[in-house]
Amino acid sequence: MSYAFFPGCSLEGTARDFRLSTMAVAQKVGLDLPELKDWICCGSTAAHSTDPLLADALPAKSLSAAGGATVAVACAACYSRLKTANHHIAGDAALRARVAQVVGRDYDGQTKVLHLLEILVRQIGLQRIRSAIRSPLAGLKVACYYGCLLARPPEITNFDDPENPTLMDQLLEAAGATPVAWPHKTECCGASFSITDPSIVLELSAQILLMAQAAGADCIATACPLCQLNLDMRQQEIEAKSGRRYNLPVFYFTQLLGLAMGCPADDLSLGSLIVAPGALLEAKGIGR
Amino acid sequence: MMGAMASPTIEIESIGGHMASEVAKRSGASPMSCYQCGKCSSGCPVASRGDFKPHELVRMVQTNLHGPVLSSRFIWECTSCHTCSTRCPQQVDPAGMMDALREMSRALGAAPRSTVVPVFNQIFLDAVRDRGRIFELGLMIQFKLRTRRFFEDADKGRIMYRKGKLALSAPQVGGKAERKAMFDRAAEGGTK
Repeated sequence: MSYAFFPGCSLEGTARDFRLSTMAVAQKVGLDLPELKDWICCGSTAAHSTDPLLADALPAKSLSAAGGATVAVACAACYSRLKTANHHIAGDAALRARVAQVVGRDYDGQTKVLHLLEILVRQIGLQRIRSAIRSPLAGLKVACYYGCLLARPPEITNFDDPENPTLMDQLLEAAGATPVAWPHKTECCGASFSITDPSIVLELSAQILLMAQAAGADCIATACPLCQLNLDMRQQEIEAKSGRRYNLPVFYFTQLLGLAMGCPADDLSLGSLIVAPGALLEAKGIGR
Repeated sequence: MMGAMASPTIEIESIGGHMASEVAKRSGASPMSCYQCGKCSSGCPVASRGDFKPHELVRMVQTNLHGPVLSSRFIWECTSCHTCSTRCPQQVDPAGMMDALREMSRALGAAPRSTVVPVFNQIFLDAVRDRGRIFELGLMIQFKLRTRRFFEDADKGRIMYRKGKLALSAPQVGGKAERKAMFDRAAEGGTK
């Protein structure tokens, strides 16, 4: 199975570990992810907050180069922007013409975009995932955290139930983990306010950590570079402010899946995690 | 006496609808459909810290309160999480409305001085235009220089470097001149 991979800017830097672990898992399940040629930044929140036309044109430029291939996305924010542009362009002929003027070529909004979670659960299938598991994540209680942009807005992403998505839960359950039931699956972590107003991230991410802990989770699994960075890098600061101890490792779901599939820790870049997962994995006998 | 007085009615047309139409045109949001149930504000992660709440801003847009809306701090604290738009029973799309309001606020230079979000957005988009992709380290340094916030989160760069989370060389996708032309055409509205 082959998809044109749109890594997004974060996977070249702060989320390098997301990329490495994605590739490690892909190899285990026969998923081929050649990089979409000359992709450019999706424009992120900066574009849709500033200029709606540019916000549609930037994804259109990348997607129109896919040549009919289905595009696979890892970052939840890129996924949201690419799917939103498709939705706008496919549904509005006048906008499509304006975007064509801006980009310099016509794009019909029809390039299919899927998130890795959709591909692994719905295209590869849980049966195939189960057959690739070598070292089940037995006894590991995981809070599957989806963040804002995978499941919302549902009419655009068409990803899963917008209030209670379960794709990541299904996947990690297939890997032997125990997903916990918790209400903050799709609450916002504060996203890019990490740079412009960290007080927002400290407040929102604190609530997510608190709820994950209250639900009995040993760790959190994420599918978005900003969610991962905020919950991981800000955790110590949140602990200091609140006087509560969390010590919750914040994995990319691909890192947990990779561990269950027997990928070496280095291939999954577990050393990049700021809240070190070693003691937890050791205690659960995972990755040995 | 009571019988002689007509019950008070508010003619929506007479108080305008101009701001709501402008928002609708820019974003596809429908502020005029709002009946003030407050569901947007109750699910909003940043409503408690804002100067106004989302449902209040929708009402203010309905009644053409341009000044207070476009200088509101809340529109720059909205995280674009789309919880409001997902739950709205009237398809008002408050998140889309916030995009339009940010655009209008920026065009008028009305954003409060206490927010640095417009500055960040501009640095971000300039970087996309110049390089095609975001170089995170460069973006953070530029942002700190522009906003003179040298000490905030000074430890974070060190942590990210130690954890191998910082790419140290900038990406560069070809076609810079073409991208610049694309940004110029977008600024003109894609009509040329």
